Amino acid sequence: MEITLTHYLLLAMTVFLTGMVGFIVRRNAIVMLMCVELMLSSVNIVFAAYSRFHANADGHVFVLMNFAVAAAEAAIGLAILVEIYRRRRTVNVDDLKALME
Amino acid sequence: MEGILFWVCGGLMVFGGLMMVVQRSAVVSAVWLIFAFISAAGIFALLSAPFLAVMQILVYAGAIMVLFLFVIMMLQGPVLEDDRKRLALPLWPAVAVPPLAVVVMIIGYVKRNGLTGMGGAVPEEFGSPVHVAELLLGKYLLAFELISIVLLVAIIGALALGKDERKLPWK
Repeated sequence: MEITLTHYLLLAMTVFLTGMVGFIVRRNAIVMLMCVELMLSSVNIVFAAYSRFHANADGHVFVLMNFAVAAAEAAIGLAILVEIYRRRRTVNVDDLKALME
Repeated sequence: MEGILFWVCGGLMVFGGLMMVVQRSAVVSAVWLIFAFISAAGIFALLSAPFLAVMQILVYAGAIMVLFLFVIMMLQGPVLEDDRKRLALPLWPAVAVPPLAVVVMIIGYVKRNGLTGMGGAVPEEFGSPVHVAELLLGKYLLAFELISIVLLVAIIGALALGKDERKLPWK
């Protein structure tokens, strides 16, 4: 069977939803950040697939921008988590409800 | 050939993602995520984007995941313990709906019989570093410069967050 754009889109959707479910299920803030990275990565696949579909490399530039945004997000997110850990001695989101109450 | 590689790389990527979600230890999760990212590099290579495949391994599987592992190791003890609580009952619908949506959409696509095809053949140098660099330093030069500012702000933000508050220059 020939591999078409649809296959790549369905793959990206499956990976995105895996990350989404992980974000809902996991209580560890670091693992939740990793799930966000997985979702970003699945979006990159969509960009690359459409780039190939239209034989136009503009999508590759967007993927590279996405890499930079993901790196910035990881750096800031982890710095915030380390700071939270220093003050509260936990990164479990169930124990961090100062904004909820 | 392309079909086999797609199913292998795609299957391994989904499997890596699932294992990341299922594993309780944060370190094991991170290693499975690296696995998924390397499979994603295979997908990029299949999509005739060799430069992206290399960058995916260098930036994602390399730099970003090493940062994650570093932080996990630094906070190790408590981080590993905390994830052992049971899932709250009201969460189950939220967890079940996305996989159901995937199943419904895949069935819908299969029923429609209207697969899109993959466009025509692309030129030999499509997605090569030279090709991407021409776009990045030509048409998208402004975005390229702006993204460097984003990274600079991220560095400053991470430094400001990590530093002792009393020693910050504006205090």
